[in-house]
Amino acid sequence: MKVKILVVFSVLVIALFAMSFAANTVTLNMIQVFTSPQRTHVLETIIKEFEALHPNVHINLISPPYESAYQKVYLMLSTNQPLDIVEVGDWSLEGVVQLGKMENLEPYIAKWSGAKDLIPGLLKAVRVTGGKAYIIPNGVYAKALFYRPDILAKFGITQPPATMKELYNDCLKITNPTKNQYGFDFRGTGLPTNFIDIITTSYLNDIDPSNMYKLKNGKLWFKDPRALEGLKLYLNFYKNTAPKDSINWGFDAQVNAFVAGTTPFLFQDPDTTGLLNSMLKKGQYKTAPLPVGPSGKVYPSYGFGGWGIPNYSKHKELAWEFIKFFTTPMISAYFCKEYGALPVLKSVYEDDPYFSSGVFEGWKKMFSDPQKYVFTSYPLANPAWTRWTKYQQDTMQQALLGRITLDQLTTKWYNFWKKAFGM
Amino acid sequence: MRREKKISKVLRFFFLSIYLIAAIVPLYWIFLTSVKSPHEVYAYPIVYWPKHISFESYKFLFGFANFAQYFKNSLFVSITASFLAMSFSILSGYIMARYKFRFKKFLIITLFLAQMIPAYLLMIPQYTMFSKLGMINNLWALVIVYVNIAASFSTIMARGFFSRIPRSLEEAAMIDGTSRIGAIFRVTLPLSLPGIAAIFSFSFVNTWNELFTAVLFINSNSKMTVPVALNSFISKAGIQWNVMSAGLIVALLPTIIVFAFAQRYIVAGLTQGAVKE
Amino acid sequence: MKRSKAHRNLKNFIFWMLFPTFTIVAILTYYPTIKGILLAFEDYTVFTFQNIQFVGWQNFETIFSDPNFFIALWNTVWWIALSVAFQFVLGFALALLMRKPFRGRGVYAGIVFYPWALSGFALGILWSWLLNGQFGLINDILMKLHLIHHGIDFLSNPSYAFISVIAVNVWYGIPFFAIMILAALQSIPNSLYEAAEIDGAGSVSKFFNVTLPYIKPTVVSTLLLRVIWVMNFPDIIYGMTKGGPAGSTNILATYMINIVYFESDYSKASAVGLIIISILTAYALTYLKFTSSYELGEI
Repeated sequence: MKVKILVVFSVLVIALFAMSFAANTVTLNMIQVFTSPQRTHVLETIIKEFEALHPNVHINLISPPYESAYQKVYLMLSTNQPLDIVEVGDWSLEGVVQLGKMENLEPYIAKWSGAKDLIPGLLKAVRVTGGKAYIIPNGVYAKALFYRPDILAKFGITQPPATMKELYNDCLKITNPTKNQYGFDFRGTGLPTNFIDIITTSYLNDIDPSNMYKLKNGKLWFKDPRALEGLKLYLNFYKNTAPKDSINWGFDAQVNAFVAGTTPFLFQDPDTTGLLNSMLKKGQYKTAPLPVGPSGKVYPSYGFGGWGIPNYSKHKELAWEFIKFFTTPMISAYFCKEYGALPVLKSVYEDDPYFSSGVFEGWKKMFSDPQKYVFTSYPLANPAWTRWTKYQQDTMQQALLGRITLDQLTTKWYNFWKKAFGM
Repeated sequence: MRREKKISKVLRFFFLSIYLIAAIVPLYWIFLTSVKSPHEVYAYPIVYWPKHISFESYKFLFGFANFAQYFKNSLFVSITASFLAMSFSILSGYIMARYKFRFKKFLIITLFLAQMIPAYLLMIPQYTMFSKLGMINNLWALVIVYVNIAASFSTIMARGFFSRIPRSLEEAAMIDGTSRIGAIFRVTLPLSLPGIAAIFSFSFVNTWNELFTAVLFINSNSKMTVPVALNSFISKAGIQWNVMSAGLIVALLPTIIVFAFAQRYIVAGLTQGAVKE
Repeated sequence: MKRSKAHRNLKNFIFWMLFPTFTIVAILTYYPTIKGILLAFEDYTVFTFQNIQFVGWQNFETIFSDPNFFIALWNTVWWIALSVAFQFVLGFALALLMRKPFRGRGVYAGIVFYPWALSGFALGILWSWLLNGQFGLINDILMKLHLIHHGIDFLSNPSYAFISVIAVNVWYGIPFFAIMILAALQSIPNSLYEAAEIDGAGSVSKFFNVTLPYIKPTVVSTLLLRVIWVMNFPDIIYGMTKGGPAGSTNILATYMINIVYFESDYSKASAVGLIIISILTAYALTYLKFTSSYELGEI
């Protein structure tokens, strides 16, 4: 009998202890959408730092496989699953916000001193839905020209091309299929929107900086003869300077072909540097600004991903604490270095020598000449956007295969956006 | 006559070898990739014989990637689900094979129809159901879903196997004073072991490889199953093929063991004589 | 009185034996299916989540006005016909070759049957790597054997790509038929063959008069199920090509996934799902109409 009482008593004590302990520890659930084993490792390191500063907080990182990540985010948010910090990329931001489950971060930003350190224009770019910010960016992406000086030297090319025409001629010069040597690192699949648009729009000098698909006079440019010239060049890059197989190339295949030297010219984002640094020796690759088109301009765009907070979260303040922590110069610099993104804070560019080194040459030059390199926004708030990227890819592939003409292609695109913009 | 036999033997050997080569080349390649060092994996020209065997990818798998835990989770989910589906299907398959009753035809059709429903149609309704039960991120939720995946097909199969066993054998046992349940356990089940082994191994293979539901239902790293882990080696930056291959090799082991057991029954035809009149 | 009690007992017995299987199938397959079918008549997307409306046949109209749907539909027919036909013939042949015991048959079976034990999706991406036009193993081997001089664009030329995904699916599905048919072959009593031999039957005649009739029920039921599964099996194509290039390897199942992944339009995807179910139901009914009840009894 005594034993029984003792057991019951001790169980009660332990239970009470456990409960009081549990009450003090807060678990935050955080989901990332660009999972890779290395990225998960970087995030876990940052989480550990945060937990060390906040002993009562535990962060549970959810890392769904890359391809199905957004399906998971949608399902979790729509059924109010326990989530406190959600990562969203620019292309999916509107969709996630439209679920009606994301917290408007404007009141938080208004009280946040760190907001002033964000690079100019970034918050504006993030305010996709109704002019309100629902995420704080954790990294910025923009395309630059990557090239392989070691391979190009063999063909007597010592300077990166400054114009699209030069790039095309360089590519033609070195292409020799029998030796498996090609020029342009073509992107046929995995949503090649940026690649198509960078080359095509470089033929136009009056793109509306707030909408990649419109001219300054408000018209769509798809039926403009200059755009047709641009698309012709794009098609020729595929036909004459890239392997046939590249119609199937996504990001990973592009990187592999670049590393192998098969195609020494690549348009890519800064996150490629993280990969290339591990696969190539120092100096084997460099970056340069994107070549400009006949218009004398080129229209890159900012890509971004960032952290947001679900509006049903029970720990919004703590989640915000974490996001602020992530956006301090030290953590931001660490994340961007390890993962390979452009930092979101001005002070990081000024204080960290890594981001002014040769690897970042291309971006530095592009940021310093806004006349030539006109950073332009995509119509991300349009509900047709998610369909567009896949539609553009599929129709472009049809044109690459010669199943439709470029005229038919531009008509399809024109009709798509005419309807989507309600014009 | 003897010459003819020899020719047919040679032909048989020849064709068997073709199947073997077709199967073994990719398998050999997976294995080879798993023991290459990372820089040899993408090397061109292709490396057919690695200079030295490297177990780096296996180290990564079980160290950095916590694969042992995923393996345990998968074993738990697949064995439990296959065992339950097998038990359920023995019960219902037996009834379907032995008795006539109202709605029988209707029930059989529902089992067939269940095979026709694409998984993506069920995605949102199933997820909503389990989220209302608070069972997201719960391995038991996977068990339940997997039992459902396996049960209808298993019942169809079980019905086929049971209907081949003559009713007279059971009746003989019942005349000897055994109960109906006793007769099933002592006579019918042992005779249909090959079928039951096949049912278990089919369910095991299907649930062991199930990716779609597992990806959506499981959040915590510590509850991931093997297919989810393999899937997360695919990132924007491409696939770590050496790690992926090591994972595939390890993931193949349980299914091969299960199959080796089942095969003794399926292929060797243990039923011969006992069942046939 | 006694009779009706026995009858009631039997009824109870049947009910409880069926209970577990059919309860789980009802709750986890049929209830969500009905929900999913209702979804097909709504406008459930991430953009309309806060105000989901009943839209009637609108999703179907959108689908039927999309030329890619008809490409996918037509591809599905070829995908099923060619995959299942070759899986069946080659699987059957393998089963016949393995019927008589030989040394190492167990190990041989283990190796030849392993593709069946791998996940289709993992196999898909593995094969996309092996068939890569630039750095793929298959091209490299063919070039080493001097059969070709340039890499073949297995996956970037639309017609090769479709052949490639079917070939891989055949490779993947052979073991299934081989196992099922082999199991059936093992159950043929030797006495039947002996009797045929006494009648002076040759091996061809034995095959048509003994083997084939005996295993026909297995063949009928596995073919029926296989067609259903192959139609709903996007894994290999999704792993290899995601339905590309330019939609040339899309089947309805991958078409549906692409709608989920790239449009987040769950209602439209459900509508495709409903179309798949309708086609399969029509197929199964036709198939069963031409199959005698004896053969169905096997299933």
